[in-house]
Amino acid sequence: MKYIMKTIKMMFLFILGISVSSCEEDYLSPQLETLVNAEIYYTNEEELLTGVINMYDGIQGINSTSSNDYHALQQEFYLTEMRSDNTRTKSSEGEAAQFENYSITATNGIVEDYYRSYYNVIFRANIVLENLDVASSENRDSIEAEAKFVRAYAYFNLVRLYGAIPLVDRIISSAETEISFTRVDPSSIYELIVSDLETAVDGLDNTYKTRASKAAAQTLLAKVYLTQGTNYLQAQLLCEEVMMSGYSLEPNFKDVFFNELNNEIIFAIGYAPDGVDSQNFSAEWLNAVGRTSGVNYTTQDVRDALDMLGGDRTPFSYRVDTDQPTQFQVVKYIPDGDESLGIAPTSSDPTKAGNDWIVLRYADVLLLHVEAIMAGGNSTSAQAALDSFEEVRLRAGLSGDSDGTITKQELMDERRVELAFENHRLFDLIRFGEAQTVLSAFSSANGGSFTASDLLLPIPQREINLSNGALSQNPGY
Amino acid sequence: MNLKANSAFFIMLLICVSAFAQESLTLKGQVVDAGDNMPMPGVNVIVAGTNNGTSTNFDGNYEIDAKEGDVLQFTYVGYITQLIPVTTNTTINIALVEDANKLDEVVVIGYGTQKKSQLTTAISKVVNEDLDQIAVPRVDEALVGQVSGVTVAATEGEAGSAPTIRVRGVGSITGKSSPTIVVDGVVVDDDFLGSLDMNEVSSFEVLKDASSTAIYGARGANGVILITTKSGKEGKTRFTYNAFTGFKEARQSDDYYFTVAETAAAELAATGTLSDRTRVKQLIGVDRDWQDVIFDGGTINSHSFSARGGSQNTKFSTSLNYVHDEGVLLTDDYKKYAIRAKVDTKLNDKFSVGLNVSPSYTNRQRFDGSTHDILRQTPWLPLYIDENNIQFVNKLRDNGAYADVQIGDYATQRMFDDFDLETMMPVESGGTDISNTSNTNPAAKVLERDRNDYKFKLFGSFYAKYDISDAFSFKTSLSGDYQNTKRDRWQGVQSNRNGASAAQLDLSTANQIHIVTDNILSFDKSFGNHDLSAIAGFSAEKWDNTFESIQGAGYTSDLVQTISAADPTTVVGESYEFPRRLISYLGRVNYAYDNKYLVSVSMRADGYSAFGENSKYGYFPAASAGWIVSNEDFLNESDVVNNLKVRMSYGTAGNPFFDVGDDQINSFPYLSLLEPSTAVIDGSLVQGFNSLNLANPDLQWERSIEINPGLDFGLFNNAISGSFDYYNRRSDQLLIDNPVSSTTGFSSGLVNIGEVQNSGFEIELRTRNISKEKFRWSTTMLASQNKNELISYGDSNGQIQNVDSKRAAEWINLVGNPISSYYGWVVDRDIPLEYINNPYHPVGGEAQDVYVKDLNGDGVIDDDDKTILGDPYPDLVWSITNDFKLGQFDLSFMFQGSHGAEIRNMGDQYLFNHFNSSQDFNPETTPNQEFIKEKIFTNDIIQDASYVTLRNVNLGFSIPSKLADKLRMSKARLYLSGTNLLYFTASDYTGFNPESINDTSPTTYGYQRAGSPIQQTVTFGLNIEF
Repeated sequence: MKYIMKTIKMMFLFILGISVSSCEEDYLSPQLETLVNAEIYYTNEEELLTGVINMYDGIQGINSTSSNDYHALQQEFYLTEMRSDNTRTKSSEGEAAQFENYSITATNGIVEDYYRSYYNVIFRANIVLENLDVASSENRDSIEAEAKFVRAYAYFNLVRLYGAIPLVDRIISSAETEISFTRVDPSSIYELIVSDLETAVDGLDNTYKTRASKAAAQTLLAKVYLTQGTNYLQAQLLCEEVMMSGYSLEPNFKDVFFNELNNEIIFAIGYAPDGVDSQNFSAEWLNAVGRTSGVNYTTQDVRDALDMLGGDRTPFSYRVDTDQPTQFQVVKYIPDGDESLGIAPTSSDPTKAGNDWIVLRYADVLLLHVEAIMAGGNSTSAQAALDSFEEVRLRAGLSGDSDGTITKQELMDERRVELAFENHRLFDLIRFGEAQTVLSAFSSANGGSFTASDLLLPIPQREINLSNGALSQNPGY
Repeated sequence: MNLKANSAFFIMLLICVSAFAQESLTLKGQVVDAGDNMPMPGVNVIVAGTNNGTSTNFDGNYEIDAKEGDVLQFTYVGYITQLIPVTTNTTINIALVEDANKLDEVVVIGYGTQKKSQLTTAISKVVNEDLDQIAVPRVDEALVGQVSGVTVAATEGEAGSAPTIRVRGVGSITGKSSPTIVVDGVVVDDDFLGSLDMNEVSSFEVLKDASSTAIYGARGANGVILITTKSGKEGKTRFTYNAFTGFKEARQSDDYYFTVAETAAAELAATGTLSDRTRVKQLIGVDRDWQDVIFDGGTINSHSFSARGGSQNTKFSTSLNYVHDEGVLLTDDYKKYAIRAKVDTKLNDKFSVGLNVSPSYTNRQRFDGSTHDILRQTPWLPLYIDENNIQFVNKLRDNGAYADVQIGDYATQRMFDDFDLETMMPVESGGTDISNTSNTNPAAKVLERDRNDYKFKLFGSFYAKYDISDAFSFKTSLSGDYQNTKRDRWQGVQSNRNGASAAQLDLSTANQIHIVTDNILSFDKSFGNHDLSAIAGFSAEKWDNTFESIQGAGYTSDLVQTISAADPTTVVGESYEFPRRLISYLGRVNYAYDNKYLVSVSMRADGYSAFGENSKYGYFPAASAGWIVSNEDFLNESDVVNNLKVRMSYGTAGNPFFDVGDDQINSFPYLSLLEPSTAVIDGSLVQGFNSLNLANPDLQWERSIEINPGLDFGLFNNAISGSFDYYNRRSDQLLIDNPVSSTTGFSSGLVNIGEVQNSGFEIELRTRNISKEKFRWSTTMLASQNKNELISYGDSNGQIQNVDSKRAAEWINLVGNPISSYYGWVVDRDIPLEYINNPYHPVGGEAQDVYVKDLNGDGVIDDDDKTILGDPYPDLVWSITNDFKLGQFDLSFMFQGSHGAEIRNMGDQYLFNHFNSSQDFNPETTPNQEFIKEKIFTNDIIQDASYVTLRNVNLGFSIPSKLADKLRMSKARLYLSGTNLLYFTASDYTGFNPESINDTSPTTYGYQRAGSPIQQTVTFGLNIEF
C-alpha cells in the first residue's frame, strides 16, 4: 500500500514539473527568482557597496503620500523650519498645523515617520558596518568611514530633535527591547557621533558631493562641537580645513539651488526627476500642488528679515503666491520653475521633483567659522571671522561688516537670511541659546503657545505603546 | 453581442428537441408523494435502457412516449425507485415512497459524500432552488441569510465587488479570515465567486466546524464553502433558459443631504442676519444633493442557457451565461461571460472518466473615487458651468486663471471666490470667498478617470476513476485554473487640480497558474449493521504567479491613452514572480453501527512552501461522533419525534494565508529578503540593495481548535425540523505582522502569537405550516450569535492603532475584549454653536470638537480617560424566510437582520464639518478648553450598525401545465422580485449603508468613510424549461 502511494506520488510530482529525483523538501522550497536572499548576500566588496548606496536611498526617503512609508528627509522641514519663526502652513489645517502652533501631539504621524526613518537609516549603516570583513583591505577604512558618517548624521538630527533616545550601534533583533526602549542621555549619543565622525574624517576624501566626504564629516563635526559648546578651537580648525579644500561660493545665489552639484555643495542628497528617486517636499510648499493645501509658507517675520538683510538673496528666497496674493512661498527648491526668476522646472510632474536637497554648503561653513571664533561670546572682531563673514555678504551684493565687530545677533541674522528654508533656523536658535526668547515672542505674536518644552519633539506614542511604558515621554507631552 | 449568440443557441436547441419526438404510445400520469399525497415535481421518468426520458412538471404530471413492453423507471432522490411495465393503459399514476435509508440527501463533505442522516459535524447545505433569481451579479452575494453562522456583507457596493464572507466570526488578525472556496473539488481563489454562474450551481455546502474542515487541513480554519455545479442526468436532454432584468437604485441618507437653504435658515434664526458668504452661495442658485450625482442607479441583466442530459453511460451538462450589472454608482459597471461544459462517461463497469471545463471573462469598470470625497462638497457648487452660473465665475482673480472658463467646463469652488456683493460682480481681490477647497470638481475626479479590471479565467478538471472491487475505488484527478488579470487606470487631464502634470496611465498584468493533483483511494461497504467508508489520499498543488506593471505620466491631453504617449522620463515599471507549493496527505474513516451510533475520524498533513524550514508541515486531526436517538426502539414508533440526533465534534484546522502587502514576502516570509534600491549619486542612479522584512524561519500556520456539540431534530413527520449548534473555536499561533520598535530598522515582523476565541450558537428551524394541494406555506428561520474575544496577544496586548495618521481615531486590541475594539474618549456634551468660529460655513455644520468626560475624575483629559467604545461585530444575525404556494402563484420573502455591531462612521466628520478651521471653537472665548477633543477621537462617530431588511422578495407565476405543454415546455415561470426593498437602520446611524466597511487591517476593522450605498433592486424574470 505504502509503495503504491509512493509510486503514485512520484508520478504526480513529475506531472507538476519536478524531476523524480528531487525530494519533497526541494518541492516545498521553491526558488526565489525576483529577490535576493540576504543570508547569502554581502559576500564581497561589490555587494557591500550596494549596502553603502542603500544608506543614501534611506535618507532620500520615499516619494509617496502613504503614512506608512519612510519619508525621511522629505518631511524634515515640518520638524525644523515649521517649528521656527520662518514658516507655517498656508491654511492652518490638520496635523501639519501642530508644528507652527507648538501643539504637537505624541501621535503626530510626521514626528513618528521621521523617528522611524532615521533609525532605519542607522540600521542600513549598521548593516554595512557589520559586514566590513568582506571589503578589501584598501577600501575597508573608507567604507567604514562612510557608514559611520551616515550614522552620525542620523543620530545628530535625532538627538537634537528628540533629546535622549535609544542608542543602537549594531543590528538588533526585535527581541532586544532593552536597547529599543532605553533612552540614553544625549551626552552618550554625542560620544558616538563624535567618535563616528572622527573615523569619517580620517577615512574619507572629497570625491563625492552626494555621498559622504571628508569635508562633509569635518563640517558636521564642527557643527557638533558648536552644538555641544565645548570645543570651539577644534570647530574652527575643522572649518578652516574645509575652507582649504577647494570649495567656494557660487557667484550667483540662485545657482546654489538650481545648478546642481555646484562648487558650493559639500553634502547634498540627490534626487532625480519623475521617477522613484524624486521628491515631493517642494511641491508641498506650493499652493495645493502636492497633497496638502500648502505648507512651509513664509512668515511675515522671515520676510521682514529678508527684506532688510537679504540683498540679492531675497528674490530667490520667497515670492508671492500668485494663486493667493496675500500668501508668500519659498523660492529655493521650487520644482515647477518660475519664468520671471529664470528658473526652469526640474520635472514634468512637480510632485516628482528632481531638486537635490543641500545638507551642507560652503556658506554654512563660513558662518560656522565665524561662530567658532566667537566661541560662545557676544561678538568677535577677529579678522579671520570678518573675512568669512564678508565673503558671504559680498556674494549677496552687500558689503562686509561695517563696524569691524560681528555681534552674535548679526551672525544669527546673517545665518537666517543666507540659509532660510534650509532647515537650519531652529537648530541655530537652539545652538545660540536664543530659541526660548525668540520663539516665545514670535509665538505669542502669532497666537501660538510656545513653552520651553516645545524645543524637543515628543517621543512617538507608537514607541511608547510598544514599550509598555518603559520608554518615558519628554516633558510637556 | 451576447443576445445574438444566445438566440442562435436557442434555435439550435429547438431543433434538437424536435429530433427526439417519436411515434408510439403516449403515456401520461401524475406522480405524488405516498406520504402526503402531494404532487411531486422534478421526478425523473425514463424508459429504462434508453435515453428517452422526461421529468414531472410543477403539478407532478408527466407525458412520455413508449412502446408496449418497455419499462418506465421513476426516480427521485430520497425515494424508492419504481419500475412499471408499459401496457396498453396510457395513464400511469404513481405514488413514490420515501426510502428510509436514503431519507435525506447526500451531503458533499470534501473528498467524498455522506448521507446527511449520518453527519456528525456542522455542515449546512443550501440547494440552489431560487438563488439564481436574486438579482446580484456574483454567487456569494446571493448567500446572505441562507446559512446560520455565515455572514455575507456587501462591504464595497461597487458593481462586481466582492462581499466580505465570514464563517463563525473573525478568527485571524493578519491572516485571511474568509472561508476557503472549493468548486467541484478544487480549491480555488475567492475571486472565482465573481466568475461563477449562479444558474450553474447545484448546491453550496458550508463546512463550519473544524472537524468538518480539517480534511482541508491548513486551509480549513475559517470554514470551507463547497460549491457543486450541476451535472447532466440520464434521460431526455433538458434545456433551460433563465433571464432577468432588474432596476437598481441606491438607498440615500437624508442626513447627508445639506442645503444652502437650511444653512441660511439656521443662520438667520441664530444671528438675525445672513452672512456675505451665505448670500453669495444663494446667488449662484444651485442647491445640489451630491448623492443624486454619484448614485446614478442602473440596470442588471442576466441570461443563462443550459442543456443537460445523457444516456446511461454518458452524461453531459453545458451552459452559457451573461450578466451585465450597471451598479448604482457613477461609472461602475460589471460584465460577466461564463461557459461550462461537463462530461462524465463510464467506459466500462469499472472505469469512468470525466472532464469539467469552464472559461469565464469578467470586465469590471470601477468607480474610481471615494464617496466621502464627493459628498463633502458644498451643495452650492454647480457640476458644470452653464449660462446662468458663468456670470459668477471670477475671471480676474488668481491672475486670470479662470478667464477662459467656458460653458460646459467643470465648475470648481475657487472660480466663485472674491465676489463683491456691492457691485454684484466678481472682483480681483477683496471680495467674499466662499470656497473651502482648491480641489477640482468632485464629479470630474470620477468621470475623468477610467479604471477597469479584466479577468480571464480558465477552470479545468479531469478525473479517472477505477472501481477496484465493489468496496474499493481509486480516483485520480488533475485540475487547475489559469487566471489572467489585466488592470488599467487612466487619470485624465481634468481629473486632478494639477491638470496635465498629474494625468497618468497605469497598466498591470497578473497571471496565475494553479495545478493540483488529487489521488484518492476510497473504501465504502455495508455489512450487517456496519456501514464503513474510508479514504486515503495524496495531493500536490502548485501556484506560479507573475506580475508586471508599467506606469506613465506627463500627458498633455486625453487623446492617446498609451504608455508611448507618456513623457518618457516618467515611465516606470515593475515585475516580479512568486511561487507557492503545497503537499498533502489525508485520510478519513466514517463508521456507523446499526444506523444509530456514528463515528468519524480524519487526519491531514500539509506541507506548505511559505513556512520556515523548521515548520514546513502541519498536522490537522479531527474526530466526531453522533447518536441517532430516533432510531432507538423507544423512539422508533413515536408520533412526535421522527428524527433526533445528538452529535459532538472536535477538530483542528489551519490557516496559512496572510497578507503583509507584498506578494513576495507573503511567499518567502522565512527568508530575509533584499530588494533593489536606488540612490542618486552625483547625478546618476546607482543601485543598492535594501532589506524588506524581518525574517522568521519558525513561521507556521494559524491553528484553530474547535468543539461543536449539536442536535438535529425532526418533529411531526418533519413538519418541524432543524438543528442547534454550539461552538467554541480557539484560534491560536496567529500570523501577525507584529509591530516592532522602529529602532530595529523595521516597523513590523511576522510572528505566530496570540489567540482569538469565537464562540456562539446557531439555530436553524424549518416548518411546514400548511401543506394542502393548492396552498402550501413553509418557513425557515436562521439565527446565530457569536462572541469574539482576544485571549492573548503577546507583547502587542493593548496595542493601539489607527488607519490614517492624519485622522488618527484609535482601535485597541486588548485581551478580554473583541479584537479591533474602538477606543477613545466618551462624549460629555456638544460645544454650543456660539463658541464656533463660523458654524454656517462651509455648510450648516457642527463643531469639529466636543467636550469629553473626565472618566477618572483627575481633572485632566488624557489617555487614562480613554475607554473601549464598541466593536464592529454583530451579536445576533438572523433571517426568516417564508415560502407560499397558492395555485399557480408562489411567493417567498426573506427578512434579515443584524444587531449589536457598531461602526466608526468617519463619513460624519468629513461631511458635517469638513475638518474645516471655520468650524473650530474660538480659543479666546470658549470655556473649559482642556476638556475639548476632536470628535473623531470620541464615541461621537461610533454608531449602531444594526439593521433589519426585507432582503429578498419573489413573487412567481407558473404557466399552467396544459398551456406549458402546448408550448412544448415542461416549465415556464414568470417572476417579479425585489432586493432590499425595505431597509431599516438604527436611529443614530447617519450614513446610507451600515454594512459598508472600509477594507483595512483586521486590527482596525469597522471603519466607514461614507462608504457605498445599499442597492435596492426590482427585477422581472423568466424561467423556462423544455
